[in-house]
Order: sequence, then structure tokens, then C-alpha cells
Amino acid sequence: MDKSKFSHWFFIGPHIILFVVFILIPSIYGVYASFTNWNLMTSPTWVGLDNYRTILTNQDSSFHHEFFNGMKNTLIFVGVSVPLMVAIPLVIASAIEHKKVKFKNFFQSIIYIPGLISISAAALIWSLIFNSQLGMMNNFFGADTVWTATQPYAWMTIFIMTVWGGIGGNMIIYRASISNVSQDLYESAEIDGAGPIRKFISVTLPSIRFPLIYTVVMTTAGSFNVFGQPLMMTNGGPRESTTVLMMYIRDLAFGSGQSIAGMASAMAVLLGMVILIISAAQYYVMNRNSA
Amino acid sequence: MKKRLAFLIVAVTTLLLTGCGGNENVIEFWTPLTGEDGAYMDQLVEDYNDTDPEHPVNHVITSDLYTQIYTVLQSGSGIPDLTLIHADRVPSFVNNDLLVPMDAIISQQPELNEDNYLPEAWTAGIIDDVQYTIPLDIHGSAMYYNIDLLEQYDVMDWLDDDVVTFDEMLELEGQLEEGHYVVNDALLGWVALAQLQNVGGDIEGADGEPTVDTDEMREVIRYLREINEAGLMTPYGEDGYLMFQSGNVLFSTDGTWSRLAHEQVESLNFGVTNTYSHSAEVFHNRSSAHLFSMLRSEERTPEKEEGIGEFLEYIREHSIEWAEAGQIVASREVVEDPEYDQFMQSFYTQDERHEDSLYIYTYEHYPYVAEAIDNYIADIVHGEMDVDEGLHEMQRFVNDRVAEGDAELEDAADAVEDFDDDVDTNE
Repeated sequence: MDKSKFSHWFFIGPHIILFVVFILIPSIYGVYASFTNWNLMTSPTWVGLDNYRTILTNQDSSFHHEFFNGMKNTLIFVGVSVPLMVAIPLVIASAIEHKKVKFKNFFQSIIYIPGLISISAAALIWSLIFNSQLGMMNNFFGADTVWTATQPYAWMTIFIMTVWGGIGGNMIIYRASISNVSQDLYESAEIDGAGPIRKFISVTLPSIRFPLIYTVVMTTAGSFNVFGQPLMMTNGGPRESTTVLMMYIRDLAFGSGQSIAGMASAMAVLLGMVILIISAAQYYVMNRNSA
Repeated sequence: MKKRLAFLIVAVTTLLLTGCGGNENVIEFWTPLTGEDGAYMDQLVEDYNDTDPEHPVNHVITSDLYTQIYTVLQSGSGIPDLTLIHADRVPSFVNNDLLVPMDAIISQQPELNEDNYLPEAWTAGIIDDVQYTIPLDIHGSAMYYNIDLLEQYDVMDWLDDDVVTFDEMLELEGQLEEGHYVVNDALLGWVALAQLQNVGGDIEGADGEPTVDTDEMREVIRYLREINEAGLMTPYGEDGYLMFQSGNVLFSTDGTWSRLAHEQVESLNFGVTNTYSHSAEVFHNRSSAHLFSMLRSEERTPEKEEGIGEFLEYIREHSIEWAEAGQIVASREVVEDPEYDQFMQSFYTQDERHEDSLYIYTYEHYPYVAEAIDNYIADIVHGEMDVDEGLHEMQRFVNDRVAEGDAELEDAADAVEDFDDDVDTNE
């Protein structure tokens, strides 16, 4: 028997098994559940497109309101946080990679460590910082704002916490990519009279194109699944203005009453489709422009 | 070398399989008791196991108990022998045929009867005259007061009849120091549900439909808004619980279990009374209960049921330990023990009038109603949301969820009917 014929299965096999068991089958079942009425206690009942019809077209339904409010808030989160989560680490990585900067790994560690802290622990820290009674923000700056119950500050607290904990991973990718850019290109650019900004735009960015596409797409997909930050910081308030779609989905499926898993699955499928379309569009646009 | 490797694999596999297998005599007991509650229950279970019972108990804490229950019920295996569920889950569990009546256990343990428990806790487990649960406790709204602040404002007499009224609270309008408030908005949803009983309202209509957008609820909101508009309630979005512990609020409406946390604050000199009301004659404390129940399972043997009965009888006799967790113990024997008087929550069982104030909602759709109220009540009371709009939203929230659940049950009933028809035709 030719052992090498099967050797690749030993490498990819474990991942395939885990992927099929924990991702593929649940995803397929989730899509099936979206076409059913299901309370998790009895068997799902097929209702065809009823859930989607209710969510998308029945304006009198609370599910319609929840989906569109959740989607709007999710898009706000994605629209603000993704540019920040890409731009800030990119700038920091470029700065750290500057030849005159010392203690590069020290700075990198400081920025990366918050990403290792769980969202719950981070939210507790930031909740205390923004606490109107005990918090540093009000006591240090003499403000009397209830940060998490007043817009736009409620969003601001969420973004600050998200950026604080989320930039480290992207920064490391950018730093690794930037360090691989040939110094010859920078020297040539300098000879042509390019300044720091021109070198960044014309040399650095095109040279790290693929890591950039990867991080934008992955950060966007991750941001659409935001849940912990608004839950812990604002609990969706004030007046549901920070309630993101994942919070509604979770409440419907695993809330306090009998589960409405079919409707929750339909919302999750719609969210998945939005993520898929936007990620594909991002990949297409960025890849085409940089080709 | 190969032999050694084979031996190692067999040994490890054997160990793993041994680990997977459980002792058939052990009663698997699942609870949602996280934190200190879980530690107190662990101690109770450990004490019971120290009595060397034939069926020892394995206490498993799971924070998302109900999700876990749905999962094992779907798979049909690993169903726990005994579970501790909340009172508001009983109706839907029974309607979905998930619970086994406690008849067999009650017949084996004659002391597990209505007379030996607080009536509110016992009756919370009765559906259509069948007893599905044995109670552990009642846990509900409590109103803590700051003794130093009451003395400072010379209003200790508010506590004389054990009920602080809206009118009494309004006496302090314009009298408070800056940064001081009469009451916080902690657990405001529970307070609203207590007030609803005070004004004679309910969340269930005559035909079993959910009722939130009602005149009675409007009246409740009017009372609460009045307190807020007079500047007596902690501001919107503020951590009223923390403000009480910081000594800036006269009353805190939170839960019986909060006593433990308040006791940790050295400077806080506090006591407990009933949730405020519009009248000293009528008062309620919205409550829930932890109830022992058995999920339907083919794996549970009659011998194990006997063991469960012995465990529940032990708990009935020894749950003074559970009072440490701040809960109102359901066992009459414990509640009437002089030792129980040392616990602050004994206030709620001091006489029949107080026991009757512990109101447990057992309406099937209560969880949806409670969720709707929790979602919107603070916005409405603090004037962030119009009253009519808020009530309409709450009603719609509940109606839509109930309609989904009803459709599910109807579909299930139709499926059973179709199945029966098929069987008849084939016969």
C-alpha cells in the first residue's frame, strides 16, 4: 500500500472532522431551523419562508423592528469600529517599525496584551472607568455625564473598549508585513524625493496588500458578530440604541421565556448573508484595485 | 516498542472510558446556582453525602441551565435526575410534557407535603391539581433602607407599619441634600410587577391572553413617574444599587439575596422592609421560587426516585444552611426555627400578612411579560419614552412571542393528530 497516497489526510483530517462536526453540520441545521417554528423542546415544524416574511416585510411585528434596529446598530458598530481597527494598528505598526524607535517589542506587547483579556473582564474595567459615581472619567475631568446611558457617549464607550482590546492582533500582522518590505523600495522612493507620507502610501500599503485585505475582511466579519461589548457596557441602551443584532438573536433563542429558535435562526442566516456579501465585495474591490 | 505503545493506548483508553462512565447510583442534580448560592448548595449536598446515602448526589452547576436542559432533552441522553428550576418555568415545562409529577416521591416521603412548606412556594408547582415540584426557597424583591439617612431626615416613622407609601416618599420632595435620593431604580421591573398586584391588575386576561397595556399598568407607571419627576429617584442610567451602598439613597429595591453584598459594605447601616406601595393596607413583594423538579427520563429508576425523595426530605429538614444565601427558605420547619430569626429575610415570614405579600407569578407567559417590562420600564418611568408608546411596545413584544409559541404547540398538536389518524387508517 502506498502510504504517501493517504498521508495528506493525516494532516488535514483532524481539521476536517472538527470543521464538519462543529461548523458545517450546525450551520446546515441552523439554516434548516430558520425555515421552522421551533422552541427547542419539541421537534421543529416546517413553516417555509414565514419567518423571513415576518422579519423582512411585516412592519407590525416586533421581530421586524428588532431585526432592523439590530442590523442598523450592528452596521453603526461595523462602520465605525472597522476603520479604527485597521487604521490605528496600521499607524502604530508603521511607527514601531521606524528605525529610530527603540524597545519595539515592549511597545508591541503593551498594545497586544489587552487583546488577551476576556471581554467580560475588560468590560468591568471600562465600566468602572466610565462609572459616573466612582469612575475616573467623571472624577478626574469633573464631568457629570452618565456615559453609558447617554448618546453618543454610550457608543463611544463601546468603541473605546473595542479598539483598546482589538488592535493588537492586526498590529502584529501589519508589523510582520511591514518588516518584510524591502528597504530598497524605500531608498528608491527617497531618491525620487518621496516624503514619509508618500512612502507610506506608495510603498508600504501596496506591499502589504494581502495582509491588509485579510485583516479588513476578517475584522469586518468579526465586527458583525459583536455581542459582548454592548451587552456588558450598555446592555443595549439607552432605548435600544446600542442593541446589536446578535443580542436580539440570543434573546430570542435563549432568552427568559420559551425559545423562539426558528425566528432567531432566520435572523442569524440573514446576518450571515450580509456578512458574506460585504466580505466578498470588500475582497473583490480591494483585490481589483490593487491588482 | 510497539507492544509498549499498544499497552499505553489501551491503558489510556480504559482510563478515559472509566472516566466517562458514571456511578449508576448517583443522583445527577443540576442547578443554575452560580456564585455564592452554588457554594451554599454544594455544602448542603456535601453534608447529605456525608450521611452515606445509598444514592449520593452529584451537584452540577450550569449558568445556562435551561439551554443545557433543552440540549439533553433533544439528544435524549444525559438527562439529569433532579433539577432546580424557577417557578415561572413550570407551566411551559408541564405544557410541553417535560416534567414528571412528584406523586411517587410524596407518597414515599409523607413529610413532603403542603403543610410543611410556605404555601406560595408549594402551590407554584401545582398545574391542574398535579404537584410537579418540591420547593427549596422563595427569593424576591426586598426593600433595604439606610438607617442613618432615615434618621438624618427624621423619617424613621415611615417604617412603623412596615410599608413605605408613595405619599410618604413625596414628603421629602425638595428636602434632600444634593446627591441624595429617596429610592433607586434597581430591579424596577420587579417593583412594577409588585405595584401591579397592589392596584389590582394582572398580566393574564380572562381568556389566558397576556395583558400589559392596561389601565392598571398605566396607574403603576403614573405612581413611579411621580417619584421620578419629584427628583426622588436615582437618575436614568445611574447605578442606583451602588449609590445605595455608597450611602446616598434612603431605599434600595433589590433582592433578598443582596443582603450578603450590602453586609460587605462596612459603613452601610441598613435594614429591610417591604417594597413601597400606594397604600399601607395593600403591599406585595414580587417573588420567584427555586423548585426541585424531575425532567421526564427513561433512565431514572424507581430506586433512584426513592433516593431523590430521601435527599429532598434531608433538604427540608436541613436547609437552614440555604438561608445563609439570603433566600427565604420554603421549609416551614426551618422558617419556624428560632435560629432562622437571625437572618434578615425572616422579616418576610414573620406573620401571615407578610407571607401573603410574597407574590409569585405563575402565568405561562410570565417570562415574556417580565422581559418586556425589564426592557422598557426604566425608559418609561424616567420619561425617556412616552407611556403609550412604551406600553404598546411591551404588549406587542409579548403578543408576538406568545403567538410564535402558540403556533408551535398547535403545529405539534396537529402532527400528533395526523399521526393518530395514520395509525387508525392502517389499523
